[in-house]
Amino acid sequence: MRHRRRLTILVFVLAVVAAACTPGDSEGDTTTTTRAADTTVAPDTTTTTVATAEATTGPSGSVRFLIAENFWADWDPYQHTAQSQMRIEAQIFDYLVDVPDTGAPPVPMLATEWTQIDDRTWEFVLREGVIFHDGSAFDAADVKASIELASGATDVATLQAGSWISTTVEIIDDLTVRLTSEEPFASLFAQLRSTIIVSADDLANNAEAIKAQPNGTGPFRLVANEPARKVMEANTDYWQGAPQIQSLTWEFIGDPDTRLSALLAGQADVIDRVPPQHLQVIEGSDNLVLDSVTGIESVNLFVLPGRLPIWDENRAFREAVMRSIDREVLVTGLIQGASAVATSFLPTETLYHQVGDPAYSRDVDAAQALLAEAGVPDGGPEFELWVASGFLPRAEEVGAAILANMEEVGLKPKLVVTDLSAMIDDIFSEDGTGAVYHLSWSSNGDPFSHAFVYSETFAWFFGDERLQELIDLSATTTNPTERERVVQELQSYMWEQLWHVPLYNSDFTVARNSRLVGLDVRPNFQTVFYPASISE
Amino acid sequence: MLRFSLRRTAQMAIVVFGVVTLVFFILRLASGDPANLMVPPGQQEDLVQLTRERLGTDRPILVQYGEYLAGLARGDLGVSFHGGQPVLDEVLKALPNTALLAAVTIVFSSAVALVLGIGAALRANGAFDRVVLVYVSVALATPSFWLAIVLVLFFSVRLGWLPAIDMEGPESFVLPVITLAVALTPVLIRMIRLSFLETLSDDHVRAARARGIPERRVILVHGLKVAALPLITLVGLQLGLILAGSYVVEYVFNWPGIGKLTLDAVVSRNFPMVQGGVLVAALAFVVVNFVVDLAYAAVDPRIRLAAR
Repeated sequence: MRHRRRLTILVFVLAVVAAACTPGDSEGDTTTTTRAADTTVAPDTTTTTVATAEATTGPSGSVRFLIAENFWADWDPYQHTAQSQMRIEAQIFDYLVDVPDTGAPPVPMLATEWTQIDDRTWEFVLREGVIFHDGSAFDAADVKASIELASGATDVATLQAGSWISTTVEIIDDLTVRLTSEEPFASLFAQLRSTIIVSADDLANNAEAIKAQPNGTGPFRLVANEPARKVMEANTDYWQGAPQIQSLTWEFIGDPDTRLSALLAGQADVIDRVPPQHLQVIEGSDNLVLDSVTGIESVNLFVLPGRLPIWDENRAFREAVMRSIDREVLVTGLIQGASAVATSFLPTETLYHQVGDPAYSRDVDAAQALLAEAGVPDGGPEFELWVASGFLPRAEEVGAAILANMEEVGLKPKLVVTDLSAMIDDIFSEDGTGAVYHLSWSSNGDPFSHAFVYSETFAWFFGDERLQELIDLSATTTNPTERERVVQELQSYMWEQLWHVPLYNSDFTVARNSRLVGLDVRPNFQTVFYPASISE
Repeated sequence: MLRFSLRRTAQMAIVVFGVVTLVFFILRLASGDPANLMVPPGQQEDLVQLTRERLGTDRPILVQYGEYLAGLARGDLGVSFHGGQPVLDEVLKALPNTALLAAVTIVFSSAVALVLGIGAALRANGAFDRVVLVYVSVALATPSFWLAIVLVLFFSVRLGWLPAIDMEGPESFVLPVITLAVALTPVLIRMIRLSFLETLSDDHVRAARARGIPERRVILVHGLKVAALPLITLVGLQLGLILAGSYVVEYVFNWPGIGKLTLDAVVSRNFPMVQGGVLVAALAFVVVNFVVDLAYAAVDPRIRLAAR
């Protein structure tokens, strides 16, 4: 008995000692630093030059960012579409150009000047003295390897190639390249802003290694690649000058309450995808700040061709569904923040956005008249409406509200609440039973990149040749005036056809501690930490 | 005892093999294709197939299973679908965190349960007993998820005394351990109270009192020794359950253990990581139960005899 008592005490002491010895995340120094303002010159669309800025002080302090989306993929370049990882890549890699705002002219990054040679060819002068995190020098070979792989100009198929027109790169000299697309490519600069520049040597010789350890030229380098946590450190050799933040951690925490608790308790500096029920708490805090933008993200009811035949064949039925839904209430009552009712199939922040006419506001009488016109005054066949819990904010509530709206006009939806994986499996499965899916699509703000999801590349395409033609034209029409006309015609056509139900453009709200200043929160869901610093 | 140990080891191997096999096939047959998750929804089949080839999920399921077993035999649990990290490394990083949380929880819960259970038994139907029974009822009815959030809001957010998330030092154990203990102690308390009440009326305890042995010694030596037997079993089972994944607590407190690792992997259909997490959880569960059986046999000679 005495021995057992001693054993119990020993176990307890060992447990406590072990707990005490567990290494914790030490808080970094949060000394205030200031950085000289960048003197980047916004160029016109044909030729530009830039002067780089030097930081006046070194990096310090640490920032912890809790994000709502898991890390779905590895770092194999151009082989994933995980938004969380694309956002991190923007910290680790550079692009040839940056496009800070939709419609704004591109500004230099790894390219300092560019000149249009003809409607398919652009020449870029590259920045001198840029080095990758492994110490190797950046040059034209890296641009050639990256752009040709990403755009689908090589034998290797990539996920990113779908939003490109195949583009080859001719090396003029170490710091000059000429990009030639198979067809005129109006989205070239938008795609260049979405295409990271990877080392040619890595692609040729370290293809496996860079899946786990990315090697970029960006302001931060990845130092810890844990499944749910990515830790970056300042790249003090960064060509624009060292970042002001020494350590930057991005961590996936799926539960919004846990993210909020961590922020309120001072254990996190920034959290994203703040749900509407948390906005008031954050607004009531003295040391927290909200950054809200309307995301370039369309939340739609996507309809799968063949699953609900009347949808494929009868426009009146489609409009009846559209008019049955009170989208205003979804935005003001459920999603809130900076979300906005969709007025086009392209979000408000997309280049050449055009407000659709009519507005398709909820109108029960009109919806019922349309059902009668469609030959189904009783509401037509039953169909499954799928929503994924834990994915889009308040998806279940949105699904329930839509269900009630539809039932009121006589439609016969059946709500299926599941997780994202099961929903996606149902979409891809030949035995899938769903017809209508509550999903989103985000882009970089270029009209082609956004309309691409409605094209023949995706399963959502109803075989509408005119639609495909307009989407193709939105990519290949390089004259800005003509392109604006094409994109507006595309939007009018889609608004008229209503192949899917555009609901709203997402809210993208980031909450941060007010000591973190200069964080760049963009409608394309990028959160750029390079300009940011920590104040006292 | 040797034969008993060998027989139990064989049983454990069968259980673990069964669990990993079941998980392997359930993941692939019932839970969806991870390649679908890694491309935009609705993307055409050729690009999905490209992703499957990269992940190795395009091969026949039995071929994948054979490779998985061959890897297991070499001690290779594969690499994560989402970052290329070796699964074994990640699991071994998470396991001590869960084990430590489990150890502290068990020690704390046992101590609390012993004090409250014995106290209630000694004053059966008295005021203290009633208070303890109220605690047991309330604790049993309290959902861990809710309690964890309330504790965080009060002690971390409002008072700022304790960390809300993470495993950062001794103070970070307080809230997760309390959350787990509230779920654990009601059963332990009831078991100890009942067992102790029965033991106190046993002949050997009455004989001990008749011999004039001090009451404190009667309780702590004669009573506790018998009452401890069911406690060992129960604690062993609970330890196994915590090691196998205190998912809710690890999720809410962002505790970097096996539970959170596995849950995150399940959500993102990271098959190798789920398999690694479940394998470790299954191993932990059967090993702990084995140790409990050994301890039980050591304490109770009847079990030793039965094993022969």
